[in-house]
Amino acid sequence: MSLLDEGTIYNLIAVEEQKRQKPPRYNSKFKDTVRNESTSNRNEHKTMGQAKVPVPTTDNYLKKHSKEPVLPNKSDFKYGDEDHKKPALPAREEKPLMGLKTTKNFITNNAVQNITSVPKRPEKKYVDTRNGDAHNLIPSGLEPIYVQKKEFGEVPTYLQKRKDEMIQAQEEYNQYVSEYMRRGAMQKLTEDERKAILDGLKTNWEDIHDQYQGLSVVTDTAPKKHRKERMESQMKQLERDIEIFEKHKIIYISN
Amino acid sequence: MADLREEFNTLKLERIIGFNGSVVGGLKMHPDRKHLIYPLGCNIIIEDISKDCSQRILSKHTDEVTCLAISKSGKYLATGQVTHMGFKATIIIWDYARGEPIHNLPLLHKVKVEALTFSCDDRYLISLGGQDDGSVVVWDTITGEAICGSQAQVKSAGNTYCVCASNSKADIFVTGGENTLRVWQLDVENRKIRPTDVNLGGLKRIVKCIEMVDDQDPPYFFCGTTTGDILVVNMDSQRLQFVVPEKNKFSLGVTALAFVRISERDEHLNRDGTKTCLPTFEFLAGAGDGELGEYKIKMSVQANKVKATMVHKQNAKPWKDTSFKNKCNSITSIALRGGGHQFFVGSGHSQIYRFNYAEFKCELTKTCHSKQVNDAVFPFGTSELIVTCQDEEIRIWQLSTGKEIRRHVVSNLTCNAVCITRDGSSIYSAWADGKIRAFGFDPKTSNIVDKCVINEAHNKGVTAIACTSDGRCIISGGGEGQVRIWSVQENYDSRGKKVYRGVLVETMKEHKGSVSAIKVRDNDKECTSASTDGTCIIWDLEKKVRSQIVFANTLFQCVGYGADACHIVTCGTDRKIGYWETFDGSLIRELDGSLAGAINALDTSPDGKYFVTGGEEKLLKVWRYDEGEVTDVGIGHSAAITKVRICPNQKYIISVGQDGAILVWKFPNY
Repeated sequence: MSLLDEGTIYNLIAVEEQKRQKPPRYNSKFKDTVRNESTSNRNEHKTMGQAKVPVPTTDNYLKKHSKEPVLPNKSDFKYGDEDHKKPALPAREEKPLMGLKTTKNFITNNAVQNITSVPKRPEKKYVDTRNGDAHNLIPSGLEPIYVQKKEFGEVPTYLQKRKDEMIQAQEEYNQYVSEYMRRGAMQKLTEDERKAILDGLKTNWEDIHDQYQGLSVVTDTAPKKHRKERMESQMKQLERDIEIFEKHKIIYISN
Repeated sequence: MADLREEFNTLKLERIIGFNGSVVGGLKMHPDRKHLIYPLGCNIIIEDISKDCSQRILSKHTDEVTCLAISKSGKYLATGQVTHMGFKATIIIWDYARGEPIHNLPLLHKVKVEALTFSCDDRYLISLGGQDDGSVVVWDTITGEAICGSQAQVKSAGNTYCVCASNSKADIFVTGGENTLRVWQLDVENRKIRPTDVNLGGLKRIVKCIEMVDDQDPPYFFCGTTTGDILVVNMDSQRLQFVVPEKNKFSLGVTALAFVRISERDEHLNRDGTKTCLPTFEFLAGAGDGELGEYKIKMSVQANKVKATMVHKQNAKPWKDTSFKNKCNSITSIALRGGGHQFFVGSGHSQIYRFNYAEFKCELTKTCHSKQVNDAVFPFGTSELIVTCQDEEIRIWQLSTGKEIRRHVVSNLTCNAVCITRDGSSIYSAWADGKIRAFGFDPKTSNIVDKCVINEAHNKGVTAIACTSDGRCIISGGGEGQVRIWSVQENYDSRGKKVYRGVLVETMKEHKGSVSAIKVRDNDKECTSASTDGTCIIWDLEKKVRSQIVFANTLFQCVGYGADACHIVTCGTDRKIGYWETFDGSLIRELDGSLAGAINALDTSPDGKYFVTGGEEKLLKVWRYDEGEVTDVGIGHSAAITKVRICPNQKYIISVGQDGAILVWKFPNY
């Protein structure tokens, strides 16, 4: 009895079912293309075509060679630098123009020029690897340039200038304020003025007092009563004013 | 039983696979939403569904539990049972939390308690007697005494099948049955119950289930009938209002009803200016043909008359278990969890399904044997699988999970015994129609497939079967007492397909009664058969003759080899366990195996040091072979044990019973 082609009860013994690991989800590399195409070309097929397709005209028949590709016109070959090239050297047999010929001795002239010229100062370099890779020193920032400057450590002129301006502005402002104060300040009464006012008040009071003394004894009518009361109030006011003026020696008048 | 616990060690119960689906409304959800309560034989099992599926067993009944009720608060559990004809049946009220009975109610109902219900305030228990009794009794749950009782129906009516208490009033309940539907009013002071018959007009119906929805407005109760319609009765007026559905009735009757909620209410303006509320009830209804659907019973006004229509939920069809092709797997109970977002459905074929209400998604949570389990075997060398056989089914179970993994059905026949070849390729089964059926396994799907049939193997049904270790030789025993040897031959048919054929090798006519068990010795040269005629014969398989015979005044039920096949151990209806010498057939030792009933099953452990027995006593006993002493006792079976097996690696003991339960025990460690 071959067991291969026959099931047995032992097949039913549950084997621990291993969960298959899911492979990561497939992502097509054409995903973006498909998405773009499907959105960008959508309007072309939005309708089912024109409502009435125009009939082809009779002059628009198929012509000879009309389906062949159209090639660009032929053009001559040109080098790119032809327009800014120097003119060619004169040939050996060519005669100089008008028979002119220079007498300048170029050899000695060059020698003299070189001998007399100031030798060029070697460029400052630094080497950072043992293989000798050299770099310019100046732009590297390794050389102390700013420390060597003449004005190093001083307050910059623009700051000085700004400071001076500030001091000047402050002074002008102070001056303006004091001027303004002086103009708008309260006036002080002089002693004479005070005295004159005080005397005037007193005379007023005496006048009213005299009138008051001359009033009738009986105040039977309303006008009499009103007049008496008015005088009393005037005198009272004057008495108060006199008292103020006598009490304070220095008096300011506000404007 | 209490003294047994003290005297012996108790075996640790690993798992019970069992549920009695035939009890109407037997599957219940406790109001704490965590425990499922169901009957199994004479036990009640409380299973925690929230986490580890741990089970509690309540066993006080003496016979099969027929009804079960939980009080609204979940404090009490009431169970009723059936008993022998002429005796009175017990009702027990249990304290749910402790799992102890509070009251063993006085015996009032004759033979059977048909239905039980608690009043809505837990104050009263209403019980209904079976057809021999026909009375309804109201009990006080606190004192445990009967308040009053009455005949459940008028004499002209038939039996009453169901009782349901009102959800709003403690003193009202409804009973229904054959041409009877009554609303009862309880008068506690005068100790009276007064019935009002619901006028059904010309309708004649047999009410099988009642669902009370009288805490809603308007107060209705719904009665499922065997005709396949639902009677809608107003509780206030006690009048029949609607009968739904008018057409396309449920086939084989409405067997289970569960109210879920009122989904919408239509206001309807009457002519006189008053308003009536027309609700739509959402129901779960299970039918006798196994259909389960979510239905809406909608009240609406048509031509100035209020009518009710019943429609199934839109965009869905009623659910039916498709694995039962030609069979009716009737829905016997619907248990809502909490508000009904999830519910459990128990079927007549002892299956429990879990449903999600919103999606109506089904998950098979439990399958159990619905009838007596006749045999159970382990495949050679593995403790992972068990093969069991019931009435017309062969099932393969996975022991670690307790789940059924394969099933094979041969309709209308009974499988008496099974055996498996050592290589695991074939299952040989003995059937009551006198045929031996061999099954193989599909190489890809591992489903059970037919391999060959030996027709007319025995003329009174095949009762016992065994095969040799190479699987080529079958030894079968029949009801008429013959033991036959068959050889399995394989050929190729014209298309090159392998075919198997059973060829009769020898018929050995010695037994006078039916052969109850056959055991083949390890070396394949000898086998033993036990018979109900009081003989046990050791056969020589090489010469095909009887080598020894033992006699006892008993019906031998089971036989096993012990002590390196020098002994055979027998058990039978005389409650004795006998050790016999195989050499000369002399009795070595006889033990009293049980106090109460016959010993039906016996199995010796692979190491030969122990054997286990089980029988009508409902106890599983582990014995030391040499000492002949009981070391451990397993308590938990609710009916007689029909078969016990020790698993090949000696870790578990399984025992199967007449109630269809499979119990898995831990083998004691010594």
